Amino acid sequence: MEVTDAAVVAQVLAGDREAFRLLVERHSRSIFRVAYRMTGDQHDAEEIVQETFLRAYRSLERFELRSNFGTWLYRIAVNRTLDFLSARKSQMHTNRFQIADNPDPEEGQVQLATSSPGPDRLLLSAELKKRLAQALALLTPAERVAFTMRHMEGQSIEEIGRVLNLKASAAKNSVFRAVQKLRQQLEPFASLGPQRVPRSGAGV
Amino acid sequence: MNHLNEEQIVLHYYGDAEKEEEIRAHLAQCQACQAEFERVRLLLGQIEPIDVPEPPTFFEEKTWLHLRDRLPEKRLGFRQWLMSPKRWALAAGAVLLLAAAFAAGRFWPRPSQNTRLVADPQRVVLVAVGDHLERSQMLLVEIMNADPNSRETLDFTGEQQQARDLLDANHLYRLSAQHVDDPQVARVLDDLGRVLAEIANGPTELSPGDLKEIRARIQSQELLFKIRVVGSEVDSKVHRQQAAAGNTRI
Repeated sequence: MEVTDAAVVAQVLAGDREAFRLLVERHSRSIFRVAYRMTGDQHDAEEIVQETFLRAYRSLERFELRSNFGTWLYRIAVNRTLDFLSARKSQMHTNRFQIADNPDPEEGQVQLATSSPGPDRLLLSAELKKRLAQALALLTPAERVAFTMRHMEGQSIEEIGRVLNLKASAAKNSVFRAVQKLRQQLEPFASLGPQRVPRSGAGV
Repeated sequence: MNHLNEEQIVLHYYGDAEKEEEIRAHLAQCQACQAEFERVRLLLGQIEPIDVPEPPTFFEEKTWLHLRDRLPEKRLGFRQWLMSPKRWALAAGAVLLLAAAFAAGRFWPRPSQNTRLVADPQRVVLVAVGDHLERSQMLLVEIMNADPNSRETLDFTGEQQQARDLLDANHLYRLSAQHVDDPQVARVLDDLGRVLAEIANGPTELSPGDLKEIRARIQSQELLFKIRVVGSEVDSKVHRQQAAAGNTRI
């Protein structure tokens, strides 16, 4: 019978540091996936995996043995990613992304959306994927994490709020702001069918 | 009724909007909002989860190797300390440790008779394991560097003899590592033992095909990488223990 995560945690807390290896072996891949989706970079994701386990080990006394270790670890991973993205954002030069008519991703250039994209700019989803990475980089760390959790991992607003320490309304707002910015960046390259119909007087 | 705002439309896509019923009713009758919702739906529908690449080979092992030395010891209460199964394993392991230290003496060059010996058995084993890993590494590197495109058979007698010598020592060191609760070293020695056994029990003359098979085995297990990592960890431990022991000489 497989030893439960809680039993392994108890063993580590009893002084068996080597037992922590089992938890690393069980959970590092899933944490890697989460971190990669949020950072888009393999080396960053590997670093976050390390930091997540280190933080988890140090906080192990606070883990409730009746809780799910995977969920607890996931929350730590998201928070480490958030810290990581915030640190990276502050390190980035303010003109890291330049606005250009003919953007060159190698040069960190992106193209801003206009209100009336021509048909020549409606590209297929392969182009959209390329643009998505650039557009995600323009989100704030909290928006990026909230969007990834809601859109790509199907986490609930409550869970996003819990992880980001936000009220439900603020968590919703983070998801919305992320989508709003992504729309601005990606709609010119997406295939969306009919042109936008002018509307006025919004709000039910 | 006013049109829906962008936030309502986006949150409705995820099923997270307030007043979902009213939004649904509005969409059913308002073409402009329906078109806007459709644009959001189409765009978000095209944003698929990012493809995650496979992490590097032996990702879990590498993560653990990097992490291990950064983990502080957890402080134990006396009762936890007494009840810890690790303490009992250590007691049993001490017996094997002495046996391994004795064996290490056989494989390790003796110092001059004039040197005063004050030996810590664990340090003796560590030094011997470090030496064992280095010699194994040299043998494997030699095999990896043999010409794989040679059409002639290779005389493997010398390598086989080396592998047999290393295999005997490997067995003892692996048992010792298991009993002092060092699974990382034990696992690498286990992998190494299998490859050494293959070399020791294989034919004395290797065809290019045989050579390729052995090389593939070494490569597929990343054995050389693991030996280097564990070897350098063992070296660090030896240095730490030497520093702690001050002027005591092996």
